[in-house]
Amino acid sequence: MRRLLIPFILLTTLPFASAHRTDEYLQATRLSIDLERVDLEIDLTTGVAMASEVFSWIDTNRDRQISRGEGQAYAQEVIHSLALSVDGKPLPIRFVDISFPQFREMSLGIGAIRLRATATAPAVDSGHHQVSFLNLHRPRSSVYLVNALVPANPRIQLADQRRDFGQHGLTLDYTVAGDGPSAGRLALLAGMALAGCWFLARQRHLDHSRVARCEAGSPK
Amino acid sequence: MPVNRRERTALSAVFAVLVFPVALGSQQRAGSAPAAQGAVTARVVEAASAFLGTLSAAERTRCTFDFTSSQRTGWSNLPTGIFQRNGLRFGDLTTRQRESALKLVAAALSREGYSKVTDIMNGDEELRKAGGGQTGGRTGSGIRFGLDEYYIALLGTPSATTAWMLQFGGHHLAINVTVVGPNSVMTPSLPATQPAKYTLNGQIIRPLGHENDKGFGLINAMNAAQLKRAVLNYEVKDLVLGPGADGKVIQPEGIVASNLDTGQQALLLDLIHEWVGILNDEAATAKMAEIKTNLPRTYFAWSGATKNGGIAYYRIQGPTLVIEYAPQSGDLNHIHTIYRDPTNDYGAKLTKH
Repeated sequence: MRRLLIPFILLTTLPFASAHRTDEYLQATRLSIDLERVDLEIDLTTGVAMASEVFSWIDTNRDRQISRGEGQAYAQEVIHSLALSVDGKPLPIRFVDISFPQFREMSLGIGAIRLRATATAPAVDSGHHQVSFLNLHRPRSSVYLVNALVPANPRIQLADQRRDFGQHGLTLDYTVAGDGPSAGRLALLAGMALAGCWFLARQRHLDHSRVARCEAGSPK
Repeated sequence: MPVNRRERTALSAVFAVLVFPVALGSQQRAGSAPAAQGAVTARVVEAASAFLGTLSAAERTRCTFDFTSSQRTGWSNLPTGIFQRNGLRFGDLTTRQRESALKLVAAALSREGYSKVTDIMNGDEELRKAGGGQTGGRTGSGIRFGLDEYYIALLGTPSATTAWMLQFGGHHLAINVTVVGPNSVMTPSLPATQPAKYTLNGQIIRPLGHENDKGFGLINAMNAAQLKRAVLNYEVKDLVLGPGADGKVIQPEGIVASNLDTGQQALLLDLIHEWVGILNDEAATAKMAEIKTNLPRTYFAWSGATKNGGIAYYRIQGPTLVIEYAPQSGDLNHIHTIYRDPTNDYGAKLTKH
């Protein structure tokens, strides 16, 4: 966890407020799906007009600093507002990391709180599956983005995506292909093919030698 | 020595297993550049050397970085005072140095691209004059807008053979041009604007006006069935892959270009060219050819009003392309866009050994 201690600098006048987010709390989530887990990257950007309010949600003892405990407590508050499931089975979401920008950045509507979380998914068989995500953290003052990253695992292919108008939630169909040949298996196949080649070449060489010996030994 | 059938089969298997994947990888890595691009690189290198020649030793040290340094990803759309850029600040340069720096930027870009960049910069100057930067002089704030707040940096040594990079940007602008031999790429880059429309010397300037109008032109050229696929049924209020999202590839959405007719595909390519064509014509031509090849796998997604004048977000996403156009928080006068190539940001494909 980084940058949890933040000096509280209150900016009283923000004439350039229109240059950046104003009265919205932007919550942008990226889901990364793998065979046995779902990772969540959530970036929370506060609007200019509500930076103090957001800060007060986090700085619960009002000492104008965000302590490690307060940061983690806020992370848990966010996580408790999320719901994640695979094939209809709810998955517990675990906190991984959170970092905070300077309050000054937050108050300008640009600094993002970065929360990382993960959930262990039940091992899925090949075939069709569905992941559902819902974010109901501070819905009254928030706007949302939610997207799925193209999976790093080539066995997983994403399909249809469905969201509500405000992007609180995403339901995503995906397909898991059968366990195809791995790099190790390909290497084994290559090795076997090379060995086959060597064997055939050797056989051919032996055949030639045998023929030559027969020809040498035959009466002229 | 003649090869019999059994041997041929075995050799084919070896070839298939060992050689084909390598060949496929080579095909993916290979980049072809028109011969003219060598001339462009020479011109850009000359302009870079001329700019460096105007600098003192101390200024040169502040302006130059290793090609692989963290400066490469250290860009932002944010103004000075919120985001600390490295390199040389325009406000600290002499008139001669400033002109030389702009000549370098112009050499790397097309005429239209350079014009777009200066329109964005002049827009920020308008923002400053209108009070956007009025806190700049106040103690403790330090937020500054305007023409003085653009920065230039060079990563690596300007060369016609080895990789180097020109980084130029400030509030609402991040131009990253990586030059590798005769090739140059401009991803990732972030052209944005606020105000989206202003008057300068009696002329109305809309730095991203084409991006707006051509986007609406394309969506309005679609029939009902195509619209059903292209228009997302949810709102998108910001960039999904903005600064800091290097290397992220999201699942594409919207209508795939193979479901557009020839005329609509031409509109899409013309729209894409608004970003690709910021870079010099030769490099842009090569990039457009690649995008055209990938067009059947390129998606166009739209969210928001379909009547020009309304607020709408759109995204164009193909195998080697991501473009997003996003009015900020429903403000038509404040537009962010991003241009990426997930396979070749910072010239990754060209510098991979």
